[in-house]
Amino acid sequence: MSAVQARPLTGDQLIVVPYRKVSAGALATNVILILLGCFFLLPMLWMLFASIDSNPDWAIKIPSPTFANFADVLGRADAISSFRSSLILAGTTTVLTTVLALLSAYPLSRMHIPFKRSFMLVILFASGLPVSMLVVPVYQMYVYLGWLDSLYTTALFLAASSLPFAVWLMKNFIDAVPVELEHAAAIDGASTFRILRQVVLPLTVPGIAVTAIYTFINAWGAFIIPFVLTYSPDNQPGPVEIYNFMGSHGLFKFGELAVFSLLFSIPVIVLYLFMSRYFSGAFNFGGAVK
Amino acid sequence: MLSEVRFEGVHKIFGTENAVEDLNLTVNAGEFLVLVGPSGCGKTTTLRMLAGLERPSYGRILIGGKLVNNVSPRFRDVAMVFQSYALYPHMNVYDNLAFGMRARGAANDHVGRRVRETAEVLGLGHLLKRRPSELSGGQRQRVALGRALIRQPQVFLMDEPLSNLDAGLRVQMRAELSRLHQRFRVTTVYVTHDQVEAMTMGDRIAVMNAGRLQQVDAPETLYDNPANLFVAGFIGSPRMNFVPGKLTSANGRSSVTFLGITTPLSTGARLTAGADDSEVTVGIRPEDLMWRPAAGPDCTLTLAATVDVVEPMGHEAYVTALCAGETVTSRFPPRSGVRTQERVELALNPARLHLFDAQSGMTILQRPQAAGVDTLRSVGEARTNDSARGRSERQGEPEARGATTRSEEIS
Amino acid sequence: MAVAGTLGPRLDRERFQWSSLLMLAPGLALLGGLFLGPVLYAFYIGFTNLALVGSRSRDYSFTGLENVTRMLGDYVFVKSSWLTILFVVGSAIVGQSVLGMLLAILLRNAVVPIRVVVGSVVIVAWVLPEITVALIWYAFSQAGGTLSILLGHTSSNYLVLVPMLIVSVANLWRNVAFSMLVFSAGLRNLPSEVLEAAEVEGASVWRRYRLVILPLLRPTIVTNLLLVTILNLSEFTLIYAMTQGGPGIETTTLPIYVYQEAFVFHQLGYGTAISLVLVLIGAIFSLLFVRASRSQV
Ligand SMILES: Nc1ncnc2c1ncn2[C@@H]1O[C@H](COP(=O)(O)OP(=O)(O)OP(=O)(O)O)[C@@H](O)[C@H]1O
Ligand SMILES: [Mg+2]
Repeated sequence: MSAVQARPLTGDQLIVVPYRKVSAGALATNVILILLGCFFLLPMLWMLFASIDSNPDWAIKIPSPTFANFADVLGRADAISSFRSSLILAGTTTVLTTVLALLSAYPLSRMHIPFKRSFMLVILFASGLPVSMLVVPVYQMYVYLGWLDSLYTTALFLAASSLPFAVWLMKNFIDAVPVELEHAAAIDGASTFRILRQVVLPLTVPGIAVTAIYTFINAWGAFIIPFVLTYSPDNQPGPVEIYNFMGSHGLFKFGELAVFSLLFSIPVIVLYLFMSRYFSGAFNFGGAVK
Repeated sequence: MLSEVRFEGVHKIFGTENAVEDLNLTVNAGEFLVLVGPSGCGKTTTLRMLAGLERPSYGRILIGGKLVNNVSPRFRDVAMVFQSYALYPHMNVYDNLAFGMRARGAANDHVGRRVRETAEVLGLGHLLKRRPSELSGGQRQRVALGRALIRQPQVFLMDEPLSNLDAGLRVQMRAELSRLHQRFRVTTVYVTHDQVEAMTMGDRIAVMNAGRLQQVDAPETLYDNPANLFVAGFIGSPRMNFVPGKLTSANGRSSVTFLGITTPLSTGARLTAGADDSEVTVGIRPEDLMWRPAAGPDCTLTLAATVDVVEPMGHEAYVTALCAGETVTSRFPPRSGVRTQERVELALNPARLHLFDAQSGMTILQRPQAAGVDTLRSVGEARTNDSARGRSERQGEPEARGATTRSEEIS
Repeated sequence: MAVAGTLGPRLDRERFQWSSLLMLAPGLALLGGLFLGPVLYAFYIGFTNLALVGSRSRDYSFTGLENVTRMLGDYVFVKSSWLTILFVVGSAIVGQSVLGMLLAILLRNAVVPIRVVVGSVVIVAWVLPEITVALIWYAFSQAGGTLSILLGHTSSNYLVLVPMLIVSVANLWRNVAFSMLVFSAGLRNLPSEVLEAAEVEGASVWRRYRLVILPLLRPTIVTNLLLVTILNLSEFTLIYAMTQGGPGIETTTLPIYVYQEAFVFHQLGYGTAISLVLVLIGAIFSLLFVRASRSQV
């Protein structure tokens, strides 16, 4: 409540602009963050620069621009087929996992199931079991069933191994939909199916999206399972192809390697950015283990 | 279409907590029953059991004579206004209102007509395209109300449907609900914390406390003859004064001593059987305790008091005074001019006393129905004097109490 | 219950709905067939001399504790166990959690453009496929790579000089976002009145974090440690793609040793037995954390 000043404003009074005080702490915060940002950015830059450099090496340097690397990679049949394999593998895994997780999470969230708490704990524990442990028995099983070297059977196992965490994630999302809405719909005379389709499902869309994208990103990058379970060149997904590429000509064709992994990274980055709004909610574990 | 609702010995137990205990209550066909009680007393639980969202732990619930314990909410044909609104957040107002009719397979043009009608009545006409998150609390509440009113169910269940509206809108909606009820006579159970709503809208009022039904009666009966201390204190504002007293009888005439005076009981009143000379709690409503200069001729008793607090309300003033060591509240005319610490004379009509057993808290005095009492009624057209009004069910009466005592002894 | 005796059985006991089983069935079938089954099978194989090729691939037998005694005398296994613990403690428990917490706190207080850019870069590092991370860190640490230039020894290949450190840092680089997101969510969910109260009382920033925020975040911290430990214990792809466990056995953590025993040396039985040890270590860590979360507060 400052009193109104009747005096005419002089020049130096006019430029009294209240400025935000920049404290030392705030400055330090931002500077440290920029340094940390560089630490995360630097290694990535190599991939970007080398991909358009006509003469790249291991270090980051100003590229002499060319698109030859891209043309080379896109002209390789094995690169194209590895994209196709990855798409089939990750796509099948994602659809399977998401549908099954949704189907399982709803009753686990809403219905009375004996030993539900213990069951959820087992699910949580299962999602932490090392894949290394499962590789050998699954390999044995697949040999026995004749399922080796198929992208679809490989996806089946990827789906099984990502299902526990997906169920857990999805259940948290469904738990957050107020059950009272379902009550209101029931009183309004809606059938169970209508309630699921018109009330629960629309409100679970963010959860479904997060689960699907999380599963997809993991399946897209999956290495050891397809590495062990597939062998014919046509069925090698991106990560295995890149690994083989590193082993065979890695030391000579930096540019192509960079392009290959860059192209292979773009889908998941785009997916993530697309959904980042919803992701932050997914990490709300709180005291989940208690 | 008119359906009676009946609770028979209904209990609801959550863990170790008895949310509702041995509820026996009949809501007559076409009746508007108001359910009141302090927070956490089991009102919402009662409604939810009636809607089928909660299954009773024990007992039977009947709608229209049909046992519905195992009927799912979908097939009970009730409409409910949720205390928390429970609006579908991903649908706009129109779709929220239309959801129930569509679910029941109504034709599209019929749905559209009803939605528009209902929205008009509730003043939501211009908001049909908005989502719940884009509405104010009061607007949301009206959508919640509309979602129930759009239907023609057997029973309406309303959980504090007007609690979030401003005073003007609340009066308007109250009248609107009363009008709708007049017109369609759908059996209604209405929960509220608002005394005015309870007194003006209800054909009868049911008072609950700590999971137990205390009394069910027409508003005036409840006001004039509260069954126990709880009901006496809960209904009426400001609260009834309670002071200790002593009942004595000689030659077949009873008299009561309180606040330093003794008065014979008025001739119209009857003491309930079993009342004998003992400690009692005397209840005096503030409007029965008047300022001597403003009192009528039948106020034959006079009490000396010292004014403690004066609260002017505009059309009247509440005066808290100290009288024979007790604090009492009385209603004064607006411009009495009394001040704090001033000594005043209070007048009291002995016929308006309430007497309660000091131990059990049960009323021991049956008073005749007083005519022309100025209760809190302001929207009087809400009610009719049909026969349903006269029925009274008292959980507090000796027989009912006997039953509880028995079950308590088993524990 | 007092009334129970007089009123007969409770009418509101929860009922099992068959529809719930119907919805759970497909998921349960998949988990049972391809998860639970292999887990149980692994416990069996771990105690056999099953081999990938040769006669033992068909005529294998139950060998009791033979694999266990073999482990105890296997110096690669012992070294590998230590490397695994070093990796988990250094890269995950300390590195990833501390840096994740630091980032979560700093980002909360940073100006918007820096928050958005740095936050996104950290998260992009996390969503990148592991093989990509392996490649760019391989490039970063090679002789003549960016790291050697920054440190002024262009002829040093740090992946050979300090292999365990490099893979640990690469792993941390990739996974920090996870802890950061967990902690950010935790911080966001703190009751703001408590924080404001502490601020109004004039507590310094440091005191505020040490005495108010960290104790309130305790459940989140424990959850993070548990998840991070479990996830990192089984880390395979990144290390394998960068070093294949080498040079020598310098980065052969247990998951890599499992793979090598099973699929390079064809010892499926012995390899699986080692993977069981990995499960055991995970169980011990989990137990410790759950204990820690209950012991106080
Ligand atoms: N699902 C539940 N689980 C456990 N206890 C419950 C549950 N629902 C209600 N209760 C308890 O039952 C009692 C009655 O609750 P109810 O919601 O019926 O009260 P209310 O009369 O509607 O109160 P208010 O006026 O505050 O809305 C309360 O003590 C409440 O804590
Ligand atoms: Mg309530």
